[in-house]
Amino acid sequence: MARREEETKQSPRDPKVRARESSEPVKVVSNGTSGDSSMFSPRFKSVAAMAGWDEESLLIASLVVDDTPERQVKYKKRSDLHFKTPPTNSSRRKRRAQRRSPISMPVSVLNLDDDEETKKDESGKEKEEPQIIVNKEKETRDDKMAESSGVSCPPSSNLPCLDKLRDELSCAICLEICFEPSTTLCGHSFCKKCLRSAADKCGKRCPKCRQLMSHSRSCTVNTVLWNTIQLLFPQEVEARKAAGALNSSGEAVRQIPEKAFYNTRSVQSRRASSGVPSNREMTMRRRRVILSQDEEDDDAALAIRLVQNTEAEHQNPEQGAYNNHRSIRPLRTSSSRRIPSQDGDAALALRLQREEFMEVFRVDHGQSGSSLSLARANLRAMTSRAASHRATTRHL
Amino acid sequence: MAKPAAGSLAGMLTMTKPSAGSLASRSTWVSTTSVSSSGKRIQREMVELNLDPPPGCCAGPKGDNLYNWVATIIGPPGTPYQGGIYFLDITFPCDYPFQPPKVVFKTRIYHCNVDSAGNVSLEILKDSWSPALTITKVLQALQSIFTKPDPYNPLVPGIAHLYLQDEAKHAELAAEWTLRFAK
Repeated sequence: MARREEETKQSPRDPKVRARESSEPVKVVSNGTSGDSSMFSPRFKSVAAMAGWDEESLLIASLVVDDTPERQVKYKKRSDLHFKTPPTNSSRRKRRAQRRSPISMPVSVLNLDDDEETKKDESGKEKEEPQIIVNKEKETRDDKMAESSGVSCPPSSNLPCLDKLRDELSCAICLEICFEPSTTLCGHSFCKKCLRSAADKCGKRCPKCRQLMSHSRSCTVNTVLWNTIQLLFPQEVEARKAAGALNSSGEAVRQIPEKAFYNTRSVQSRRASSGVPSNREMTMRRRRVILSQDEEDDDAALAIRLVQNTEAEHQNPEQGAYNNHRSIRPLRTSSSRRIPSQDGDAALALRLQREEFMEVFRVDHGQSGSSLSLARANLRAMTSRAASHRATTRHL
Repeated sequence: MAKPAAGSLAGMLTMTKPSAGSLASRSTWVSTTSVSSSGKRIQREMVELNLDPPPGCCAGPKGDNLYNWVATIIGPPGTPYQGGIYFLDITFPCDYPFQPPKVVFKTRIYHCNVDSAGNVSLEILKDSWSPALTITKVLQALQSIFTKPDPYNPLVPGIAHLYLQDEAKHAELAAEWTLRFAK
């Protein structure tokens, strides 16, 4: 909470930013940077044009992103990281690079062509998490199949190889799905704990092929494999985590209500049941947290900020004169009765805009999914940031 | 249902067996996890064995105790042990996948690798044990010594000698024992 307040205080108070809000591209007097259109790659521009986005306002938005104080850069970094779905080695390297130089972040957000290969397979479906899960399962399964057993399976079929995968990904020592797999030099993977106790009790030889193992390597987690396992078998991983230690579960519970609150695309029924999550619910949510952070993190960030701003607004209601989106208000109130504030309107406007945007290029360009989805993700990140800025500056 | 019983028994084993107790005390986290993890692993193996048993053998817990199993191996056709049914006791140590299970023949068998007490000399049940081996693989290894005795690491040197010198005679005697004890 304290952190969020800090964010608010740090945000720039530019009325222009306020004036330029999501749903109507406002003609903004350029503040000396309009010539800097080379910031956008041509692809981005074409995508934006398709969506009917005003390039100028985009630029402003990007400036907002640029101006974002350290805190929010951090936030964006996080959500941006999660856009890169399967952590390949290259993307990992990139992440590290980004961590080292936060200044380069805004550039990398806008640069679509560079990051393209890391976004292999994320298709345009953002609406339902299950879809995304399936996509990723396919994707990771393909990777796994290619590298492990040579058992081929058509990627289009709906998880017929899950049993084979289960066998392939289970630890030969505990016979369960590898938990924090560690890979030996000879290429065999076991749970880190299993491998360690095998080394302790049975000598430093690979349990599978009896080759000598080295010390250091046997204790590092094979992150790619581990992430793959987490994506493929969230329940099992969850069960083992729960059995192992009950330490980190509280964090997830804390975040969920806020996430569920503003996620308009998620089904209402799911939100209705968000009181005390049952075990299964928890795993489902965890899975979503893992698998669809690209969407949810954004929403969560936005939700956190907006909720906070709503609180602020209740304290000084005359500020409500700034409402730009009265026309959307009835819609908003009918869809959600909880927040009777203009920030709710802003959120809805933002969402509508997003959806419209997605609609546009879903129809037009279903094929070139990877770059477009990345573009969409970037745009989303930008708009949410811009919106939050507008919202926060308004009250200060 | 079998699990709590197994857990309590494992606890008993730890108390009664000095070697296991010292092992557990040497590394602290093992003592808390190894009991349940060995139980889990044994249970898993049981399920897998029931789902997909290897041909010619079966195995399962004797009673409520998950750590004491009984197994049967049917003498493979084409060997002097053909048609015989051999019962074995399998005892799992409480740090099971890291220590080999103990296998004892309960049925008398004329075999150079099995002594009169039923002890088996099988490398993978001793020094070559690997935690990646399962009971299924142990049973398969046992089946393989039915078809191919290992006279160079014998438990009963006399039988090994006969096997090397006069295989026909060896087969005859083995078949006779099969008829006498294993049918």
